[in-house]
Amino acid sequence: MEFSDCAARVLDTAAARGAAYCDVRFERGRSERIEVRNGEVTGLSDERSDGYGIRALVDGAWGFASSNGFADAALDEAAARAVALARAGAAVAAFRLGEAPVDCYVDTFETALERDPRSVPIGERVALLLEAEALLHAAPSVRVGRAWLDLWRTEKFFFSSTGSRIAQTIVQTGSAISALAVGEGDAQNRMWPGDRGLYQSGGWEIVDAAGLRENAQRIGEEAHQLLSAPQCPSGIFDIVLGGSQVSLQIHESCGHAAELDRVLGWEANFSGTSFLSPGGLGTLKYGSDLVTIEIDNALPRGLATAGYDDEGARSVRSDVIKNGVLVGFESSRDTARALGRSTNACVRAQSWEHVPMIRMCNLNLLPGTTPGEELVRDIADGIYMEANRSWSIDDRRQNFQFGCQIGWEIKGGKRGRMLKNPTYGGTTPEFWNSCDAIGDAASWLAWGTPNCGKGEPMQTGRTTQAAAPARFRGVAVGVGYDR
Amino acid sequence: MTAEERLALAQRTLARSRADATDVTVTATHRALSRFTRETIHQNVDEVNVTIAVRAIVDGRVGIASTNARDDDAIAAVNDRARELATLAPRDQLAPLVAPPAAVEAPPGAYDAPTAQAGAERRAQIAAAMFAHAKDAQLWSSGYVTSEDSGLTIATSAGARLAFDGTSAGTNVKMNGADSTGWAEAYAVGIGALDGDAVGARAARKAVAANNPAAVDPGSWTVILEPAAFGELLAFFRPYFSAELYAEGASYISGKLDERIAGENVTIRDDYAHPLNPGMPFDFSGAPTARLALIENGIARGIVTDDVWSRRLDRPNTGHAVPRAGGWPVGPQPLHTVVEPGTRPVDALIAETARGLLITRLWYVRYVDQRRSIVTGMTRDGTFLIEGGKVRGGVRNMRFNVAIGELLEDCEFANDPTRTGGYAYSLVTPSVKFPRFRFASVSPY
Repeated sequence: MEFSDCAARVLDTAAARGAAYCDVRFERGRSERIEVRNGEVTGLSDERSDGYGIRALVDGAWGFASSNGFADAALDEAAARAVALARAGAAVAAFRLGEAPVDCYVDTFETALERDPRSVPIGERVALLLEAEALLHAAPSVRVGRAWLDLWRTEKFFFSSTGSRIAQTIVQTGSAISALAVGEGDAQNRMWPGDRGLYQSGGWEIVDAAGLRENAQRIGEEAHQLLSAPQCPSGIFDIVLGGSQVSLQIHESCGHAAELDRVLGWEANFSGTSFLSPGGLGTLKYGSDLVTIEIDNALPRGLATAGYDDEGARSVRSDVIKNGVLVGFESSRDTARALGRSTNACVRAQSWEHVPMIRMCNLNLLPGTTPGEELVRDIADGIYMEANRSWSIDDRRQNFQFGCQIGWEIKGGKRGRMLKNPTYGGTTPEFWNSCDAIGDAASWLAWGTPNCGKGEPMQTGRTTQAAAPARFRGVAVGVGYDR
Repeated sequence: MTAEERLALAQRTLARSRADATDVTVTATHRALSRFTRETIHQNVDEVNVTIAVRAIVDGRVGIASTNARDDDAIAAVNDRARELATLAPRDQLAPLVAPPAAVEAPPGAYDAPTAQAGAERRAQIAAAMFAHAKDAQLWSSGYVTSEDSGLTIATSAGARLAFDGTSAGTNVKMNGADSTGWAEAYAVGIGALDGDAVGARAARKAVAANNPAAVDPGSWTVILEPAAFGELLAFFRPYFSAELYAEGASYISGKLDERIAGENVTIRDDYAHPLNPGMPFDFSGAPTARLALIENGIARGIVTDDVWSRRLDRPNTGHAVPRAGGWPVGPQPLHTVVEPGTRPVDALIAETARGLLITRLWYVRYVDQRRSIVTGMTRDGTFLIEGGKVRGGVRNMRFNVAIGELLEDCEFANDPTRTGGYAYSLVTPSVKFPRFRFASVSPY
């Protein structure tokens, strides 16, 4: 049976059982992964998962049911289950939460590919990882080298009772290397690119851009050198963060803070709430004038780039922080309506099996004008840090403490000796208000995070925070090691 | 899907394999959850899936493929893909094995039929009991009620046939006031053991008691961590007992096996048969899981292995393999951690505390320095000042930086073993008192 036929059956069943609105999202997912460790291929897998998730609205309450059964009876049962769930919730609800959407889209979307990963032979994929991993062993102290590769392809077919029919094919690609050097009572890890690898939407060109072979020996050498590098000092310093660390700082202290479900208390018991509130729109000085953070779910190579979100809303571009001032949130239809606004299409589900919810999508810090290498020039005594290894922030996204894999002294405007265990901490608005330079467009990159956790049941999301290196003044450094 | 249906599916898949050796894992999951905020269920979900994972070995090489389709074409295809991947893989230095037959016995009480059949109305009733406490105390509630049943069957070409069926139910609730919050949780095999009234009352009491929180100075404090709080730290300590991390030299206990690493009163086990948290008696490769001590009377006693790491390290296979397909590279893990309780109630530990903090829950714990067991994180949802042996009132949340290994050198456990966790982990621990716990900064709330 075609998906359109299955959808018609689901939508009819839900309506017959009393749903005021229903949508169904069919997905075909394929995940290919290769892992190499110390010269051995330790993982070579190909996972396929097909199924569908149904949302039904009854008396202002939502129900969600998923299944991988495509027979008529299974479709009917799943649709009935979604309606029953909604009805059970409506029976104990203190308020009506949902309203039936009215918009209708008939459209398609496909990720732009330069080289379809399916055309790359497995032998070529494995050879790349083995070669790069071997280069990591640049010193005897490098006890473990790892290299891995993920190729993801998801076909989504969305149908709604308002007539939407949206077909999307999303291709995402990622790869990374890491070296673990072990010394006396110490272990130091270095990873490339950034701290998660390079994960973007697109094809094999993303693997080429990661430069695994080209950087492997340096990464292995750095892991070894860190064992004998001096400890990063503690105190107040001016700091420069590399692009991937700025990306994580956006992710944790802005991306999650600006999710409107958190702001409204929908995530309070687990992921937490937010120090941001609707009352701060247009007035809260979140960062310095240089700081503009926007949602752009059409960003080329953004890991969350798609034509539509998982409740069938069209991707748009919208500001969250404009010249340092809070102006928006990441929203869904229901949460946006609570503020009298329209959704900015930030609803995603991990897969067909999972309920769609507000997820950070492509949320980017716009580049500045300072060439990346000049960010250190007017720092007399500071620290340069890059590639995250530790991240923690409170449940309102204010008090944070981060650590990086590697740092360097900055003395007299120049990078000096390597430092191990660099850490820093602060509170979100004070930190972003201390930002006085952001790298230019040439140093700006769409850094993807493939495994952002949120929700109950827990879901992992794929998100991008494009960023350039940036400079921050008067930051507490060395936290955690000054115990 | 019944155990018989899973076995038939696994054997049908195995029969289509043309590899030298094969193992097939069939996993059936049914997970339902009602999540609420402000006394309204905003996510009411019911998820069903069945997956077939095939590990094919050809000439000493391995390929893994999975599917969630069950027709003959899909079963042939998943076998072909696994075999093709194995054919294309380089030869591993360590030839993989598939599990032989083994006699294992599921622990009693791991499956509760009413939980498997629990519907949204049952979960809504439990939630409604918590809503009542929120209204009575002029708070608002946020939390969930969940019921799950799952089954897993492994069949190997070496003749192993293993099956496990389990259920779980859980709830947690955060009660929110004007300037304070309180939280409580409960987990069990059966949904009948969930007492929404008791959980709601406990969370509401905490939220009310924590109102108008005072700011106290950071620095070194005596603390009493309730089970949920210590569970957050244990989740970052137990990976040190993985053979992989141990052998790589990145574990806090690397090179310390059979040495004293904690106080004599510290015994931590991995025990799938603990009555509060019964689990699978075999691992995801089909090897029987051992019940073993990780720390015994303060001595580092055991690391957990799987079929690969046992041979790499020439140690017994303890049967702690985790799922191979689709994850990040992790080695064997002790997933059924149990901390041996002390002999005195937590109230006695509080009564002997001249000045300290009682902590309900920790949040966003992460390694600062994995090798040295230094972690950071925050308190949340009920942090209280203890003075003169009595709980005096709420304090603002604080950030900590502590070395877990150092904490375990001097601690006292209460006699209140509790199953804690939720979606990230599930373990059994009592409350614990630490005389020196280092806080770095204070939150505005």
